[in-house]
Amino acid sequence: MAIPLSYNLRNMRVRAFSTVMTTLSIGLVVAVFIGVMALARGLEEAFVATGVPLNLVVLRQGSQVETSSVVTRDSLQVIKYLPGVAVDSEGTPLVSPEVIVLLNLSKRSDGQGSNVMVRGLFAKGFKLRPQVRLVAGRLFRPGLREIIVGRSIAERFQNAGLGEMIRFGRSRWRIVGLFEAGRTAFDSEVWADASELGDDFDRPDYSSVLLRAENASALRAMERRISDDRRLHLKALSEPAYYAEQTKTAGPIKILGSFMAVMMAIGASFAAMNTMYASVARRSREIGVLRVLGFRSGSIMLSFLTESLLLGFAGGVVGCLLALPIHGITTGTTNFRTFSDVSFAFRITPDLLLRGLGFSLVMGGLGGLLPARLASRQPMVDTLREG
Amino acid sequence: MNHLHFIWKNMVRNRRRTVLTVLSIGLSLFVLATLMTVLTELNREPEGEDTHLRLVVRRASSLGDRLPEAYAAKLARVPGVRIVHALTWFGGIYIDEANFFANFACDPDTLFPVFPENRIPPEQLKAFQKERTAAVAGRKLIERFKWRLGDRITLQGTIYPVDLEFVLRGIYTGTDETAFFFHRAYLEESLGRPGKVGTFWLKAASAADIPRIMEAVDTMFKNSDAETKTETERAFQLGFVSMMGNVKTLVAGISSVVVFTILLVTANTMAMSIRERAREIAILKTLGFGRRRVLAILMAESAAIALIGGALGTVGARLFFSVVDVWRYTQGMFPIFIVEPSTILLGLLLSVLIGLASAAFPAFRVSHLTIAEALRRVG
Repeated sequence: MAIPLSYNLRNMRVRAFSTVMTTLSIGLVVAVFIGVMALARGLEEAFVATGVPLNLVVLRQGSQVETSSVVTRDSLQVIKYLPGVAVDSEGTPLVSPEVIVLLNLSKRSDGQGSNVMVRGLFAKGFKLRPQVRLVAGRLFRPGLREIIVGRSIAERFQNAGLGEMIRFGRSRWRIVGLFEAGRTAFDSEVWADASELGDDFDRPDYSSVLLRAENASALRAMERRISDDRRLHLKALSEPAYYAEQTKTAGPIKILGSFMAVMMAIGASFAAMNTMYASVARRSREIGVLRVLGFRSGSIMLSFLTESLLLGFAGGVVGCLLALPIHGITTGTTNFRTFSDVSFAFRITPDLLLRGLGFSLVMGGLGGLLPARLASRQPMVDTLREG
Repeated sequence: MNHLHFIWKNMVRNRRRTVLTVLSIGLSLFVLATLMTVLTELNREPEGEDTHLRLVVRRASSLGDRLPEAYAAKLARVPGVRIVHALTWFGGIYIDEANFFANFACDPDTLFPVFPENRIPPEQLKAFQKERTAAVAGRKLIERFKWRLGDRITLQGTIYPVDLEFVLRGIYTGTDETAFFFHRAYLEESLGRPGKVGTFWLKAASAADIPRIMEAVDTMFKNSDAETKTETERAFQLGFVSMMGNVKTLVAGISSVVVFTILLVTANTMAMSIRERAREIAILKTLGFGRRRVLAILMAESAAIALIGGALGTVGARLFFSVVDVWRYTQGMFPIFIVEPSTILLGLLLSVLIGLASAAFPAFRVSHLTIAEALRRVG
């Protein structure tokens, strides 16, 4: 027969100090774990959410990112008329040649510079990225040296607000609009007219080409065709695949986070073990009484283990609550592949909370196992004689 | 009465508890030492006698843009400039992307004079300088890929549309032994001589010249097609750290949580063991031990436990990171990762403080109990 749960709960209340201390220490470990993982998650999501499945990114062979890629105008003519390219309502192919440059801007937070990606594109580029929408001001007009910037860029960098001017290339550019791109990598970009940007930076060629395929099989066919064409020296990959590669930026954070969490978790389970051992020691008489009442040693073991798991679970809940306020905090880092800044927000998702709770149960379980075994193995007579 | 002996006896009485507490604190201090080292390494100042004389000139618009090669001659004429060295980040991949390491195109004649902290045997230097496709690499890099002098190494260009094959002609030693250098002329040639340079590294004649040089260089190229930004090596480095984002806040945040966790764990242990000992403490008092002395004994015990844990954690971290090469697991982010003695010392100090703080409350309470009250308590 199982020992009722209320026995454990009552006991935890009697030893309130230890319960609170242990719960809190497990809670803090869970909070750190969730916090660091939320950071990595937010960074990854900024990239993962970016691609449209039917979009194809064309880059120079050997280059991994748009910032170091070149696509010549001749190649563009070849790509444009490949079979399988989707057309818009006017019957023109949905192909967007783009110019990418990096721009060093000073951060509002510490005045230090960071590189922001400037994307030069034409109207087709907007059509291919339905997730981007203007939230303030208007679109840039070609010929006037106007730009629009992602809202998080405007928030995080000096002189990047609506109506302000930024000097780069050979001109001063006026910010006429702010856009949002649903937490994707485009949120961290500055957009300008492709011809103007190319002129200012002496770029006769384009950096990359984005195009829409009619369907999934056309996409795969074009992918192969472009990558295999020896005259082009280009490679093509689907937009989601391109951005999935960028998630590697979050790699070091994840390694650091997991490493710390595991170390701290072992430490916390030792602390839980201490608490449980003390609990067993103080209750050795009670354990004897329980045995006399007919509870089997298995039930006693289960009861102590349950108590430890409860401690862990309570810690987990505390940890989740402690971590929640960081959700949504925006920050930024540099994607060292493109060498450009990426803004992102801490993302705490339900599954991350569940993982945190699971983690806390593991700590509680590990901490309780040995003490529970000890409790169940105490000889009945001795325990009663003690004290 | 030997107090130390008494404290020791108390510590080993519940051996299991002491060991678990020590281990728990040790693991936390290990994490703390790691975090502190992350900050130390990100802010590590360049070492060597004349590193403070180095300046970096780059394109003002961004590091992604390059400077005209012809700037070299103009830079050399700026008063106070002793050496001009062209250094271009090549960003090549060796076999697989996971093998990331820093690789640069450089001027072989000025590389070592500008970076004198890197040392190379003279005959290897000569071999490197006279062969167009020769390369030198740091000792750590050589060991990682088990290269030997004379090996052929191919780097696939990612930023530049060329794959280059090199012959390894030299191994250098120094502070950062993870980089790879080759002739800039070789890169230029294979690209069809675009005449572009990533950065120019200047060495000033004296520290007094530095502000003047920075000013002179940036003014000289103002309003040209390629404006420059000149800064000290240190500022250049800190710029990179800042680009990573708000690492400092992150590390500080996590560290304070870790410290707080240790405080809780130690406080819990001390509370438990003091509660169990209330009777004994009453007996001590009956024997004539003053309140202060009882308090001191208990606090010393707690501090000792925390200190042992702290020593285990910090020294453990130093040993751990002297064996585990962080450079390989962080995509090249930390070429050096050493838990410095100052970090260990700080960790030890923190653990003692935590030990004292965590025992303060329960010890204070029990030392204030009247003898009769304490004796009445059930153990």
